[in-house]
Amino acid sequence: MRFLGVDTGGTFTDCVEVGPTGEIRMDKVFSTRDAPDRAILEVLEQMARSESVSLTDYLSGVTSFSHGTTVSTNALIQRRGSRVGLLVTRGFEDVLEIARGPLGRVGGLPQSLAMDFLHTEPKKPLVERTLVRGIDERISADGSVIREATKADIEAQVLSLVNEGAESIAVCLLWSFKNPQHELLVESVVGEIAPQLPLCLSSKIAPRLGEYERTVTTAVNAFIGPITKQYIGSLAHSLADLGYQQPLYIMKASGGVTTPRRVFDEAVSVINSGPVGGIIASRFLGQVLGETKLITADMGGTSFDVGLIIDGRFEEQTSPFLDQGLPISTSSVKIVTIGAGGGSIATTDGYRLRVGPQSAGSDPGPVCYGRGNVDPTVTDALVVMGFIEPESFFGGRYPLDRQLAANSIFEKIARPLGLDLYQAAAGIYQIVTSSMADLIRKITVEAGYDSRKFTLCCYGGATGLHCGEFAKDLGIQKIIIPYAAPVFSAYGVAIADTVFTATQSMPSLIEKSEYFVDSFNQCISSLLHKCEQALGEEFLGRPQITVYFKLDVRYVGQMNEVALAWPGKLNIQDIPQITELFEAAYRARFGATAVRGKNSLELINIRLEVSEPKFENKLQPLSESAKQDVDPIIREIYHPTQKWLKVAVHEFSNIIQHTQITGPAIIQRDSTTIWVPSNSFIARDQYGNLIMQLQGE
Amino acid sequence: MNIDVDPITFEVIKQRLWQINDEQSVAIRTISSSPIVVEGNDFNVGLFTADGRLTTAGIGSLVHVGTMSVVVKNVLSKADRIRDGDVYLINDPFLGALHQNDVVLVSPFFVKDELVLWIGNVLHHPDVGGTDVGSFCINARTLYQDPPRYFLKLCDRGILNTEVEYTFSTNSRLPEMVALDLKAQLGAIHAAKQRLSSLVEECGVELVSAVVNRSIETASVQFRTLLESLPDGTWSTKTVMDGARVGDNALHYVCCRLVKERGHLTFDFTGSSPQVDAAVNCTYHATFAGTVVPLYSFLCQGDIDWNDGLVDHVTVIAPEGTVVNATFPAPVSICTVGMRWLVTVAATRVVAEMLQASSAHKDRVCSSWNVAANCNNVFGLTPEGKQFGTLLSDHRGGGAGARSFADGFSHAGQITSFASSLGNVESAEWKAPILYLFRKRLIDSAGAGKYRGGLTAITAVIPREVGQIQLNATNTAGTIYSNAFGIHGGYPGVGSQTLIVRGVEVGTIFERAEQLDTFHDLHGTPQFLDSKASESLNTNDVLVFFAPGGGGYGDPIDRDPESVVDDIRFGRVSLRYARALYGVVTSDVQGLDASATADERDLIRQDRLRRPSLAEFVTASSEDVALVCEKCNEFVPRGKTNAGLSAPRRVSPWAALKSNGDSDRMGILELSCPTCATLLSVEEVDKSYFYELRDEICE
Repeated sequence: MRFLGVDTGGTFTDCVEVGPTGEIRMDKVFSTRDAPDRAILEVLEQMARSESVSLTDYLSGVTSFSHGTTVSTNALIQRRGSRVGLLVTRGFEDVLEIARGPLGRVGGLPQSLAMDFLHTEPKKPLVERTLVRGIDERISADGSVIREATKADIEAQVLSLVNEGAESIAVCLLWSFKNPQHELLVESVVGEIAPQLPLCLSSKIAPRLGEYERTVTTAVNAFIGPITKQYIGSLAHSLADLGYQQPLYIMKASGGVTTPRRVFDEAVSVINSGPVGGIIASRFLGQVLGETKLITADMGGTSFDVGLIIDGRFEEQTSPFLDQGLPISTSSVKIVTIGAGGGSIATTDGYRLRVGPQSAGSDPGPVCYGRGNVDPTVTDALVVMGFIEPESFFGGRYPLDRQLAANSIFEKIARPLGLDLYQAAAGIYQIVTSSMADLIRKITVEAGYDSRKFTLCCYGGATGLHCGEFAKDLGIQKIIIPYAAPVFSAYGVAIADTVFTATQSMPSLIEKSEYFVDSFNQCISSLLHKCEQALGEEFLGRPQITVYFKLDVRYVGQMNEVALAWPGKLNIQDIPQITELFEAAYRARFGATAVRGKNSLELINIRLEVSEPKFENKLQPLSESAKQDVDPIIREIYHPTQKWLKVAVHEFSNIIQHTQITGPAIIQRDSTTIWVPSNSFIARDQYGNLIMQLQGE
Repeated sequence: MNIDVDPITFEVIKQRLWQINDEQSVAIRTISSSPIVVEGNDFNVGLFTADGRLTTAGIGSLVHVGTMSVVVKNVLSKADRIRDGDVYLINDPFLGALHQNDVVLVSPFFVKDELVLWIGNVLHHPDVGGTDVGSFCINARTLYQDPPRYFLKLCDRGILNTEVEYTFSTNSRLPEMVALDLKAQLGAIHAAKQRLSSLVEECGVELVSAVVNRSIETASVQFRTLLESLPDGTWSTKTVMDGARVGDNALHYVCCRLVKERGHLTFDFTGSSPQVDAAVNCTYHATFAGTVVPLYSFLCQGDIDWNDGLVDHVTVIAPEGTVVNATFPAPVSICTVGMRWLVTVAATRVVAEMLQASSAHKDRVCSSWNVAANCNNVFGLTPEGKQFGTLLSDHRGGGAGARSFADGFSHAGQITSFASSLGNVESAEWKAPILYLFRKRLIDSAGAGKYRGGLTAITAVIPREVGQIQLNATNTAGTIYSNAFGIHGGYPGVGSQTLIVRGVEVGTIFERAEQLDTFHDLHGTPQFLDSKASESLNTNDVLVFFAPGGGGYGDPIDRDPESVVDDIRFGRVSLRYARALYGVVTSDVQGLDASATADERDLIRQDRLRRPSLAEFVTASSEDVALVCEKCNEFVPRGKTNAGLSAPRRVSPWAALKSNGDSDRMGILELSCPTCATLLSVEEVDKSYFYELRDEICE
């Protein structure tokens, strides 16, 4: 009974093993970008070696193997997917080129870049224009057929795509989510004349209103589906060769895992699943520690990712951008990102000091890495201020060059702004920290909440030096820094539930009519049917299953919907309840004045989420490791408001459970450093988590 | 009370203010039911100093950035008594609204009896009354046929005045929608106020005020410094509107002359046409707002905050009684897509010429950007008998001008807003009883050049399940003059056009056409509409329209021939125009025929050298600026250039469709270097000017 989670997302490939009673073991190796499975086998070898068993023996004791991969994300970003042939309704062949105008060019870009009108170069198209064919067919808004599709025409178009060298086919016809018959005809034709070609139908992958987003979703799936399937297939094969017989699971952006069998159909949701592991692990930790409202914060080398968990549920993004100009109609866990990481570059024009969104990443990385970057970064500022000790960075494996960092900050920031070195460094730190607070404030307010009522869960290598400060700024009083923080994504991947999601658009006026109730219930049945088709008919009957519906509702004519949780089928007398739920959600977000009782409501989508836990996870208290109090080292640091401070620097491994450390203090642990501000306290709980308590000033 | 604030604190608080203001945008975009707002981004939000200067603008339409503060200043000078919790509603164009649809809400923010800031937002309401549906009053002849103008107190000390709300909404043809939009605006102010209160509580009112003032000062210094790095000079242009209201076919001009001197810009609109008895007129405020748009888009970009920092460095001269400073009671309800649009087009061009003359900022040159708003409003009754009305969003699919280093963006949206978008076909069909026949990229719609302009899209729509739909076509201009300037020898893009193809057998349309690519495939009788038109669309009629393309940059025969081959392959340029304008010849397999191309380009050069000098026909004017030939590295006086005049169809098969590709009013004038034959300028000119000599210099 061991559950493995392996995450290949970043510089390192992380592995977490969760034992039957919840005990955690972890390890990491350098990722191998070109062939990610090499690092996977390597880290598994290391896990086995530390138990002094062979890899085969080790794997024979593993119950489930869950994997978070960036293979699909990278293939999309670098446009290294299949040669996709796209079939659309005739007359609309340019749907990906017209791309809803500027949305297809600047959508998904950080705002400061989007504001530069002339340098927002569109990315290489997903589908070459010469690989798009129009089918002579038309379905109208009510689903009725205006122009019947013919087999002969479809055959001709498919053959012509095959002759152009299409390696996979995406189909998105107008209104196909309302009436899929023409897409199904394409499916049967392709099955006859080109059965070897992978095929994606928009009516199956994303049956939602809005042809641009639906086409993007389908085309992306056809683009990275084959590569994803191939990668997972070969990984499964390697594991099988080592004698591993148990299931392999793959992480999705929708907050759960899927299986190799379904990975082609769900390939689009494997994209950007990276940061989701961390938020799943946070949810679990929150449940154990009794936290009902959590903000998750994860700062790495290039970005700062924030998520919300309220009563065990994630916020959702219904049309996330996968890449510049590519919004999709498959929802995912809402994780909002800004370009604020350790590698974020500070710039000034002599008037203003700005940090990010440009980043030196981890390669070449900050100036102090000494690998050729000359533009000062956040990490450089932290080194200059003394928060990061150059000699002990990464456990002393990569000593940093403080002098390089100092020179760069002085020349590029301090001098032009007329500041001294430390003011400039502290300025970079303050600006990036306050942009983090701003982001969290924005997300909580937009979701209708007050950040002061939340607990913050922080992980990721660079978060620890900022979280105490931005939490204070936000009025947050408690921060959890998990024991498993160094491999938190992998931990989340290991424990993630199996999740199936499906959406069906059924744009209709919400009214007290039999017709509405019937269509509603038909839609519910068809969603459940889809789930059974995907997971087996018996699936919904299993004891641990959670079935969850959401309705996307808006005032008639609005462009944005509000998501409402809904139990299932509808009775005619329950219709007013939809209105009540809608108005309550509206009031919470925009105040009572925004509610307009007289306006009618329309329903756009019904969404289904079915999940099943892979196992019952627990959290295991750690045995006390530190036996005696070790006196901390005292170091002098420069703080933005308190200026020069003498602070105690504690080694994580030396901290005794439940012993309170008073700020100002610094905690060092392998690859991460945590800043405990003045007037706050930090202690290690029985699970090894660090809990920081902040007090208002 | 202006306390000193260090650059770090400044940045931190300024960012915070930006986000508080952005909360307004989020509220508006979520609540509004208007596609013009949510997809068209036709709204904006702002924070203002106590004396009404804009300190923080949102990412809505840039055209509002230059005018919102006028409204606040007018409230300050005209309102009886301003108290905490008051919210004013203004849509009067003579008080700073652009046109009557743009309803501005502003509210003072008090801290302990002291007026500290103003919060405001402006939103394009879908209908506020007036003679025409949608309040774009293309039939109005006076201000009294335009929609009503308001200056109202919507909330009094925090209490909504329901009588005022009622009066405002009941004057609209879409009372529920405007009421919802008003809710969105109030919700936005509410959200911003709450968060401003906590910011003030945290940092103190002195610090917040200091940051607010310094934001404007900083932007001002940054903007002046940028101007000082640009060359001084004078650049002029003229934009032309073909028809100001339904039934009018006359030409009306916006003339613009930019004088750049050290840290100051003067835009002088002297020479523009007298104000018209049509609602396209601008008030002075709208002209000012339209003028500064390219300054934000191309000079400030993301580096200099969008606020009133630049107003000290910009003078706009617009003579009273002209279309750019219309006096009471001139109708003005379509000024935003009327003369205001052309003001922005003219300003964009002269700013591009200024940047083209600079060495450091040539990468910001862009001489045109979706130069007309080809707005097509359809309305009528649904099969169920309910009123519907919607603006088709396809006009945002126009092209942008080429850049000095790359092609222009196709389907670029508007220069006033990087965050606007086209709606999905399915969304439009869900909202209105219409059926799209096609929405395609329009081949040959972009201005030719070394770098090609961006392409536009063409759309065809029929009524679905209803016998009739009303159409109000409000196209800025473009049926004769395109105004889609190229630069540095690049050709203009195609102008915009709306047409109704009558007598199409819609029932069998799919059977009869293998492929519906253009209106020709519909086999009906095309009726090319004037730029302002009111028509009905019946069962056998197809509405077809396209927005303008973008102008080119540089001489097309200097374009990399392989890029032209790509353009042919991907359906952006036809074989015919590839040969005529780019001198590119392809072989059978769609590959480049390099030697034929070289020969063709040589022929083009020889032809150009044989043309007579411009001076033989036109007397030089003192206004004329010498053209620059980069190849010969010298200035060429305009009179010395070789001049060729041709019909509009030279630019594109879609140009001047109404007059069959020709025009007795406008011609395409090509000026090339007498030494190396490189095109230095391609312009749309008034043909009468050349009339007598036309035969001699025409091709």
